[in-house]
Amino acid sequence: MGNFGQLMDGFAVALTTHHVLIMIAGVLLGLVVGVLPGLGAPNGVSLLLPLTFGMDPIAAIILLTSMYWGALFGGSTTSILFNIPGEPSSVATTFDGYPMARKGEAVRALTLAFGSAGIGAMTGVIVITLLSGWVAQFALRFGAAEYFAVYFMAFASFIGMSGGSPFKTLVSMMLGFACATIGMDTISGESRLTFDWDPLIGGVSFLIAVIGLFGLGELLITMEEGVKFEGVKARLSMTEIFRTLAELPRYWATLIRSAAIGCWMGITPGGPTAASFMSYALGRRFSKRGSKFGTGEPEGVVAPETADHSAGSCALLPMLALGIPGSATAAVMMGGLMIWGLSPGPMLFTTRPDFVWGLIASMYLGNVIAVVLVLATVPLFAYVLRAPFKVVGPIIAVVCVIGAYTVANHMFDVWLALVFGVLGYAFKKLNYPLAPFVLAMVLGDKAEDAFRQALLTSDGSASIFFANGLVATMMGLGILLLLLPAISYVHRRFKPDGAREGVVSVVAAARYDGRDAPATTAGQ
Amino acid sequence: MVISRNAAEFVVAFVTGGLGALVCYSALQNGVAWGASGPEPGYFPFYVGCLIILGSAGTAVQALWRSGAAEVFADGHNIRTVAAFFVPLVVLVALCQWLGLYIAMALYLFFATWLGAKLRPFNAFLVAAITTAANFVIFEILFTVPLLKGPVLEYFGIY
Repeated sequence: MGNFGQLMDGFAVALTTHHVLIMIAGVLLGLVVGVLPGLGAPNGVSLLLPLTFGMDPIAAIILLTSMYWGALFGGSTTSILFNIPGEPSSVATTFDGYPMARKGEAVRALTLAFGSAGIGAMTGVIVITLLSGWVAQFALRFGAAEYFAVYFMAFASFIGMSGGSPFKTLVSMMLGFACATIGMDTISGESRLTFDWDPLIGGVSFLIAVIGLFGLGELLITMEEGVKFEGVKARLSMTEIFRTLAELPRYWATLIRSAAIGCWMGITPGGPTAASFMSYALGRRFSKRGSKFGTGEPEGVVAPETADHSAGSCALLPMLALGIPGSATAAVMMGGLMIWGLSPGPMLFTTRPDFVWGLIASMYLGNVIAVVLVLATVPLFAYVLRAPFKVVGPIIAVVCVIGAYTVANHMFDVWLALVFGVLGYAFKKLNYPLAPFVLAMVLGDKAEDAFRQALLTSDGSASIFFANGLVATMMGLGILLLLLPAISYVHRRFKPDGAREGVVSVVAAARYDGRDAPATTAGQ
Repeated sequence: MVISRNAAEFVVAFVTGGLGALVCYSALQNGVAWGASGPEPGYFPFYVGCLIILGSAGTAVQALWRSGAAEVFADGHNIRTVAAFFVPLVVLVALCQWLGLYIAMALYLFFATWLGAKLRPFNAFLVAAITTAANFVIFEILFTVPLLKGPVLEYFGIY
């Protein structure tokens, strides 16, 4: 149990007063970000990132991950009380959470959501603790070709599992790659895609893209749909909270199933949004009370929340161990790691064990703090949300503008963020997934370098990608994933009606994969 | 004025396809061939550009095939609401360039909450003043990240 000893060292790092205070601050900021529609986790982390450039990397990553936990929890509050998901990944929570609140069981629904979310997150963190060291060890054997194969698999799984339109995923992802190549080429030193225009030579930061696509784009959509917070009042009583927590073990089957779905979707880049939908769909199919889902069924809250949070934390595993983020937010954090001068991937475990294990230990603590704080702040946020969104919207817009400026102190970046905002608005309305864009932008350079290095060692022959069993298997899996949309299309065409339905409902759930449904699509 | 979903699909596919062509064009200038020292710098972007064009074409064909013509992307009301939010945002960024971030955000917040959200002028003033002051404290004092000040604040000796 080498991992256990290292985890204890990690706790020694994470449990200093300084770091605990940072966790509390991060969780509180995350709650704000999670509660407000139009400010999501990826965008919130992007906005905060420039402020961490001067910080110690351990403190910085603890701040960002705590914010991430806060955002995941905060998103559920609005889902249940207002029927407006604060985060795309908490859309599924509205289905049963809001009906429960309307029946006067708001506190029960909130406690169930936070309790099961906490369990989900803990499962995810335990999976990370047990597996990350092992995965990193394994990945140390990787060469350039293997790395490219892993990237290829990650991107192929987006196209294969996103459902929706695979073409749209392709466009979104490749545009991300194209944005990543803007500026100076790292190998030849030539400038690419700049059209001899000076502001572009330094390249385009992925943070600008996230602030535009996720921040301004979502803000435009939220404004257009004109959210009104007509909430259900919740008066918290301690006895009811504890009674509900004691009720949780009764849903053990749902908890285990949802946590497993979440871990799987988090490690493969499916992301929390897909996980919560899939878990909800499977919950409805397997639960004894499945037919009552949608009318305020406790299991309908437990299933998506558990999966959402276990996926959210598991998304950090491939980021740490392989350098491949499992969700848009993890992609932003990975970009942060690179800016702080750390290179994510297996080497990080040997070069900076204090960083890796300090981070993992902080996840345990951060989630506990998040559960407590989110319960404590429900009345406060319920009050804040009574402010009209037409007042809150411009304030969020100002925050986005400042965020875009602080990335590199260029006004040009702010204009660029506006352009990305328009793109994000159009893409979201037409169901283009945005997560692949961000992922491609963060990984673009690394994928290209791996591709070019592999081809250089083989003198330009693509056979290097099938040279040994490991890389061939990964490439094969990747190709299979790419063909998945075509296979499932043929499958649906030629299957009798009855058998089709089950498949369709699961596929339909998976369709939200990474798509990040708009903030206000709930309520149907 | 009503924009159908299909029209929007086509426009977006056309724009992304155009971007793809632009990427290919730029890559061709860098060289897409296999040079003496391995792939030339345009090699990777060229195929990325091709895939963008392919994906855009696929999206356009899908839109044509499905032809959900009745679906609405945005009607007059939508367009007005979005424009009412977006145009001031563009003005805000232009003002930032000219007057610095603090003064621009104060002006923007005041007018956006007064005219847009129909707050009373005094309340709008409060929202603008408090938000701007809070940002000043957070960025200049707590995190010492200087934002663009612009000529007016510099005149008063605030850098």
